[in-house]
This record gives sequence, structure tokens and C-alpha cells, in this order.
Amino acid sequence: MSTTAKMIIVLTVITIFSGGILSTWDGVTKPKIEAYKLQELKKAIAEVLPKYDEYEEIHIDGLTLYIGKKTTDTTQTVGIALEAVGNGFQGKISIMLGLFPDFSEISGIKILEQIETPGLGTKIVEDPSNKEDPYWFSNQFKQLKTEPQIEVIKNVKPSKPAEIQAITGATISSKAVVTILNNHIQLAKKNYLSNSKSQIQ
Amino acid sequence: MKLILIFISAAVVNNFVLSYFLGICPFVGVSKKISSAVSMGMAVTFVMTIAAVVTWLIYHLILVPASLEILEYVSFILVIASLVQLVEMFVRKISKPLYDALGIYLPLITTNCAILGLALFAVLRDYAFIESLVFGVGAGAGFTLAITIMAGIREQLELAKVPKSFEGAGITMIVAAALALAFMGFAGLISV
Amino acid sequence: MADKKVSITREYLKGLWDENPVLRSLLGLCPVLAVTNSAINGLAMGLATTFVLLTSSIIISLVRKVIPHQVRIASFIVIIATFVTVADRFLAAYFPPISKDLGPYVPLIVVNCIILGRQEAFSSRNSLGRSILDSSGMGTGFILVLILLGGFREIFGSGTFFGMTVLGEWFDPWMVMILPPGAFLGLGLFIGLTNWINAWRAKA
Repeated sequence: MSTTAKMIIVLTVITIFSGGILSTWDGVTKPKIEAYKLQELKKAIAEVLPKYDEYEEIHIDGLTLYIGKKTTDTTQTVGIALEAVGNGFQGKISIMLGLFPDFSEISGIKILEQIETPGLGTKIVEDPSNKEDPYWFSNQFKQLKTEPQIEVIKNVKPSKPAEIQAITGATISSKAVVTILNNHIQLAKKNYLSNSKSQIQ
Repeated sequence: MKLILIFISAAVVNNFVLSYFLGICPFVGVSKKISSAVSMGMAVTFVMTIAAVVTWLIYHLILVPASLEILEYVSFILVIASLVQLVEMFVRKISKPLYDALGIYLPLITTNCAILGLALFAVLRDYAFIESLVFGVGAGAGFTLAITIMAGIREQLELAKVPKSFEGAGITMIVAAALALAFMGFAGLISV
Repeated sequence: MADKKVSITREYLKGLWDENPVLRSLLGLCPVLAVTNSAINGLAMGLATTFVLLTSSIIISLVRKVIPHQVRIASFIVIIATFVTVADRFLAAYFPPISKDLGPYVPLIVVNCIILGRQEAFSSRNSLGRSILDSSGMGTGFILVLILLGGFREIFGSGTFFGMTVLGEWFDPWMVMILPPGAFLGLGLFIGLTNWINAWRAKA
């Protein structure tokens, strides 16, 4: 057999072998990976919204909103969740934001992804130095008023309804979270309200 | 504006070598002289930019529409390996002086994790075509920056008394630690 | 050609120290630096890499006489990339948190010089048995370095080892150890130490 023919045959066999293994494995692993992603999404939504029976996913203008609803007796919207992404100090910060239906108050937030400075910026997720409440930073946002916009203050306890306290030594990460939230609250409000208007009651 | 941010981020803030540990083999191996470091850097930037473009096209125009994302790694590495061969032949044909300067470094680039890393990151971050291109140029620039600075320092180190056990890779790593620490100062350069 | 003079045990043990792929041959440094911020991450990466090394060595050793010389590198690459995809998908499906921690460094096993290096230098020229021993040894040596460096950085950077607190409240962790500078520093010290030990053994 000529060398060229041998080369082509060997490479073809290897490609078929590779393709075979990978397509089979794709079939096995893809559903599991998708299921895990969905599970994580559901967990995050449940953490930031008030109690709901089910949620509906709607897409408006490139934005995905998760509407939490109670379905006993009559259907009632209890909250709206969405994923808010923006620039942090070191990289992207991704937050699951939960809002009450009038958009004037936050029901809760959960930091999904971040690569902030370990020991400083990472305190937006968990602050081990605070023994009573390591999650104090994100807990601040529960029932936080959003109007006119959320403000950040340093070193003193918040006095206004839409104020939160920055993490000492991680002002930029703290401010980044607030900026991301403010932007997305406005965006969600605009999109959701314009969508509801177009749905005649 | 976003393009400028991508470029600065890849070149300086999240330098491929000093933050992501990509391209360490050539970083240690080709950083003894400034001239070879610069040549290697240029060769890498050249290949990175082309690789960023070609892998983007393959992923978004072939793999995604056909639901064959599982072939990402196999196709990317084959593309990169062939690309390096082609680039070498191309450079040899069009410019002998350029080939003399870069040529010997090109085959070393195939297993350079920086190239594959670049292609993978661009997919992971869902960059558009132009963004991937700028990302490639920025990453290459960052690599060149890091390897050239290292070469400058190592040329000076030739005159210093380095403990025998640390000669070569050992001291290079320690110097890299100092460089990485310095580059960490760039964090926050492009924040909100 | 197969080195018949090398004993079976030597074939395995050489990967642990004398020909340790990381500390002596300086191969595969990228993942070593990237995932050693904790011992568990180092272990996971080591296992994934060893899986790819072993499986590709077995296949390549089995078909070594059939692959024409000119296409051997391309063949090796496809085989290696296939098993890396398998390992990556496996972690993503069955161990999602670890997959997230290791991130893009698992696919980068494709260009880990250790793997291509062993196929080219050994598995494509030696029997199945010896290739398995060689790959296992190299893999073990790799895992050892990853756990040691990962442990070193984790202990000083977080005060823990495999997640268990080792250094108590009194210790204020050296954050830099789990950041890039700490990686370079740790590896540099390890390499220097290895060279020093070998020089001292040579004199003795």
C-alpha cells in the first residue's frame, strides 16, 4: 500500500474513532450538564424572591426575567428576578437580583459569579471576619428601597432607606455591585412595564 | 470603547503570562536575551491574532450551527497546529529576513498553551468577531511585554551571583513572582 | 527502541523523582501554576491529566506500528484532544463545582507538553506494558508535585489543607500565596529545592 493511502486510511480511522467516542459521550453528559445548570438557576431564583409556587420565564428585548407567581386561588405576581452582570474590580460580577412587583424594593440578591480580590472584594459573597453574619453584605439588600437609586456610604451605618454600607477596603467592589443593580433595576422596570402595557388586562 | 478595554485587559490587567499562566514554556525558555524575546513575542502575537480569527469562524460558523460544540478542543488544536505550519511556510516565502528573525520560534508555538488558551477564552466570553481579533492582539502584546521585561531582567541577572540550585528556571520563577505582584497593581484600571 | 535494560519498577519510579516531568524536565508548568491554589484542585487536575496520559498512551502504544511517521503528531494530537474532551465533560457532568474551579485549564491539558512528550518519546516506541508503567509513573510524579505545591500554597494562603483548617485563628493567611505571585514563588522554590537536593546527593 502506498504511504499516502496508508496515511489517509489511518487518519480517517482515527477521526471516526474520535467522532464516535465524542458523540456518544456528548449524549451521556449533555443532559446532566443542562440539568445541573437549571437546578442552579432555580436555586438562585428561590433564594432572592419571596415564596412562590412557580415561576415564568419571559424574554423582553434581550433581557430574561423570571416572574415568580403564587397560583393558589388567583394568580398573583410576587416578585421578579433577573441576572444582572457588569464589571467589578477584577472582572465580571454576576448577580441574581430579586425585586418586588412595583420595583421599588429589592427582595434579595445572590452573587453568582465574581473574581474579586480574595479576602477583600470576595467579602461581597462571604465575610469570615464577621462572626455573627458572614453574609452581611448581600443581606443588606433584603427589603432595600431602590428609589431614586441605591447609594453607597462608607464607615457608618446606613441611615436612609436606599443606602447600603460598603465593605472596608473593598469600596470599588461594593460600588460595582450597586452600579450593576441600579442599572438593571431601571432596565427591568422599563422592559417589564412596557411589556405589561402591551398585554391588555 | 469596549475594544480598548478588551485590549488593555488582555495586555496588562489580566496579562496572559502573569495572571493566567499561559505561555510559561517559552516564557522560561526564550527570555534569556531581549532580542530573542521580542522576536518570540512578535511571532506569538502574529499567530495569536490569526488563530483568534480562524477559531472564531470555525466555532460560530461550523460547530454551533451543527451542534458539534463537543468537537471544540479537537478542531481548535488541529487548526492551530496547521496554522503554525502554514504561517511558517508563508513567512519563509514572502520575507527571508522576517523568516530568519521569527522562523525558528514558530514550531515551538504549537504547544504554546497561550494560543489554545486564547481561543478557548474567546469562546467562553462569547466575544464577537472584532472583539476576538482585538483580544488576540492584546494578549500577544501582553505576552511580548512580559517576556521582554523578563529578558531585560535576566540579562542583568547574568552579572549577579545566583545560587547554583536556582539558576535557570528557579530564579526565573522567583523574578516572575515579583513581576506578577507588580502587574497586580493594574487591577481596577478598567472598572465600573 | 525499547530499553530492555530498564527494569519494570524503574520504568514506573523514574517519573516520581529522577525524571519528574515538572521539577526536572520543566514540562506542563502552566497547569501546575494555575490550579495549585488548593490541594484538592491540584489533585483533581493531576487525576484528569493522568487519565488523559494513560488512555492516550494505551491507544498510541497499541497502534504504534501502524501509524505512518509523517502523520504521527497529527494522530497523537487528535487522540489526546479526544480524551481531554472526555475528561472535561466528565468533570462538568459529575463534579460541577470542581469543573468550575479548574475552568479552562482542563481543556489546556491538550497542549500539556508532558503528554505529547511522552507519546513522542516513549509510548510510540515501546510495548503496551512499558508504556502503561511509564505513563503511570509520570502521572504519579505530576500528581505529587500538584498536591505538594497545592498544599503548600493552601496552607500559607488559606490556613487549610484539603479544606480542613490546619493553622488556627492566630494565623493571618498570606493572601499572596493563592494569587499568581504565590504560584511563581512556590514553584521557583520547589525547583530550586529539587536541584539542591540532587546536587547534594551527587556529592554524597
